[in-house]
Amino acid sequence: MQTPLALLNLVHERTRLIVAIAGVAFAVILVFMNLGFLGSLSKTASLFYQEMNADIFLISPQALEITTTKPFPIERVYQAAGVRGVERAMPLYVGYLQWRNPETRQSRAVFAFGFNLNDPLFLLPELQEPQTLATLRQPDTVLIDRLSRPEYGPLEPGTETEADRRRVVVGGQYSLGGAFAADATVIMSDQNFRRYLSPIPLTLVNLGLVKLQPDADLQAVKAALQRTLPPDVRVLTQAEIIESDRDYWIGTTSTGFIFGLGVAVSVVVGIVIVYQVLYTDITSHLKQYATLKAMGYRSRFLFSTVIQEAVILAVLGYIPGFIVALGLYELTYRATSGGLPIAMELERAITVLILTIIMCSISGLISVNKVVSADPADVFS
Amino acid sequence: MTTTPAPSSIPALPDEAIAVRIRNLNYFFGQGELRKQVLFDINLDLPKGEIVIMTGPSGSGKTTLLTLIGALRTVPDGSLKVLGRDIVGMGRSQLVDVRRNIGFIFQAHNLFDSLSAAQNVEMAVELAPNWREKRRQAVAILTQLGLSDRVDYKPKALSGGQKQRVAIARALVNQPPLILADEPTAALDKKSGRDVVTLMQQLAKSEGRTILMVTHDNRILDVADRIVTMVDGRLDSDENLGHFVDTHDPKTLDRRMFIL
Ligand SMILES: Nc1ncnc2c1ncn2[C@@H]1O[C@H](COP(=O)(O)OP(=O)(O)OP(=O)(O)O)[C@@H](O)[C@H]1O
Ligand SMILES: [Mg+2]
Repeated sequence: MQTPLALLNLVHERTRLIVAIAGVAFAVILVFMNLGFLGSLSKTASLFYQEMNADIFLISPQALEITTTKPFPIERVYQAAGVRGVERAMPLYVGYLQWRNPETRQSRAVFAFGFNLNDPLFLLPELQEPQTLATLRQPDTVLIDRLSRPEYGPLEPGTETEADRRRVVVGGQYSLGGAFAADATVIMSDQNFRRYLSPIPLTLVNLGLVKLQPDADLQAVKAALQRTLPPDVRVLTQAEIIESDRDYWIGTTSTGFIFGLGVAVSVVVGIVIVYQVLYTDITSHLKQYATLKAMGYRSRFLFSTVIQEAVILAVLGYIPGFIVALGLYELTYRATSGGLPIAMELERAITVLILTIIMCSISGLISVNKVVSADPADVFS
Repeated sequence: MTTTPAPSSIPALPDEAIAVRIRNLNYFFGQGELRKQVLFDINLDLPKGEIVIMTGPSGSGKTTLLTLIGALRTVPDGSLKVLGRDIVGMGRSQLVDVRRNIGFIFQAHNLFDSLSAAQNVEMAVELAPNWREKRRQAVAILTQLGLSDRVDYKPKALSGGQKQRVAIARALVNQPPLILADEPTAALDKKSGRDVVTLMQQLAKSEGRTILMVTHDNRILDVADRIVTMVDGRLDSDENLGHFVDTHDPKTLDRRMFIL
């Protein structure tokens, strides 16, 4: 094996190595946190849709995302049900209610879903139980998200309080998360929904959820729906509506830009730190590098030694950075009681590793010129 | 003092017996206004197997000549044949190939602090086409230089003389036919300096190496087959040791070496 000069040079200067590793780790952590938040945003954007039992969504063309929909006639849902390949078309009603904390008597907005209890609209396990559905048939009874923030007060089944100045009873719980809509969500029957949000009639719906027959072709049915339905509704597949909401939250708002900037700044910080370390290392070894050239080593060898040092720093810094990021993800997840679905993903882990290597290599490339241009004739002076 | 003009003093040796042949070599530093000639019409032959010592006042151009012979600089004109290859006009890449056949010993040892004595030597072995036995080769040469019990020491744990011997081991391990040394004993005390030079002499004699050594140290002149003197960029005299000692009484010698 060739003498691992790059590694030995780095290990020899302990303090310098630790500073470099800490610097890379710092940048790695910042990048992970920024990407983590960004990732949790895009996960959050898809949160509601993923718990809905539908392949295609009907939504008003004026809607920006799920909380700002414009109601459309329920006939569109009936029309959709008649299209070939559609197994079922289901109306969904959404809107905001003011939920009163029974202890503090403070009101806060909750995001409410109303649906026909005969429709298998939600995938949430609690809503598959006939008992839960029976509970929801009772007047003024709702299910509340157990991931709602503590400001809403006790949420145990049987809790009684007011929503929009109307009595409400907690009939049960489910786990969903409020996403961008609110800090709490409730699910109820369409009948109850109408009572709370009157004067909205049930003939105007916010979303139409279309479930396809198992053998139906998604694109074909989508095209058929587009042909059949008038232009007062948009036809989107599940992936498309998720993407549309995500684009709204990440793109239209400046959230995406902010976190993107966070990543860029972290990388620049990393580049500077690694550059400092590599540059110092090269400067203090310039005579030795010139000697290697005099002995007959080519510039290519010195170039690759510096790049190796950069890659070693990248990997050594990535490992602690990755571990700390895991801890911070967990901490963030707990601090938001699951409201921010932030978690490590394999793809992100690999992306950041590659980004770290690129970051360090850039530092290497900036500093390598000094060693490549080392004059072998200098060894005698 | 007798000063023979250099060209006439060059013996007519056949090319195969010559390690380095220099003809009409001039060298300039700097560009334009600052262009300054430091070597003037150098003519010099280094026959194979000889130890040649070069002396001369500071700034006279000794190191510059050494770097040219060592293929460490591009040589624009004149004729400079090193180990049978004319390096005038060679590009950087070809110069590297020439350098691989030359052992360099510097005043500063320039060892990597991060590598052990053996590893520093192994870095040189790795330049050879076959270096699978590099550790054995490194240990062998270090042993030959009296460092058998120091092979795994880092330079920090070695004395100045020991470090210089590691550097010499590194220069010699690939058995280069030509060795260029610039004041190899300057950083050493009298005894270590003597040891180092004696070692080089033994290696040269037993294995037929050609050595060109620049030194100000007149205590080691006796190892030389020949002594050349550089003054103001010109080879001032080129004579064998006996002649040198005869014509330079110690006081004159001292003055020439150290006053400047
Ligand atoms: N890189 C350089 N650029 C410009 N001038 C240089 C350079 N290197 C050396 N010189 C000049 O060339 C001349 C010869 O220098 P050189 O180093 O060859 O002398 P030297 O005989 O080795 O001296 P010393 O005995 O002090 O080592 C000096 O005048 C020096 O100032
Ligand atoms: Mg010199």
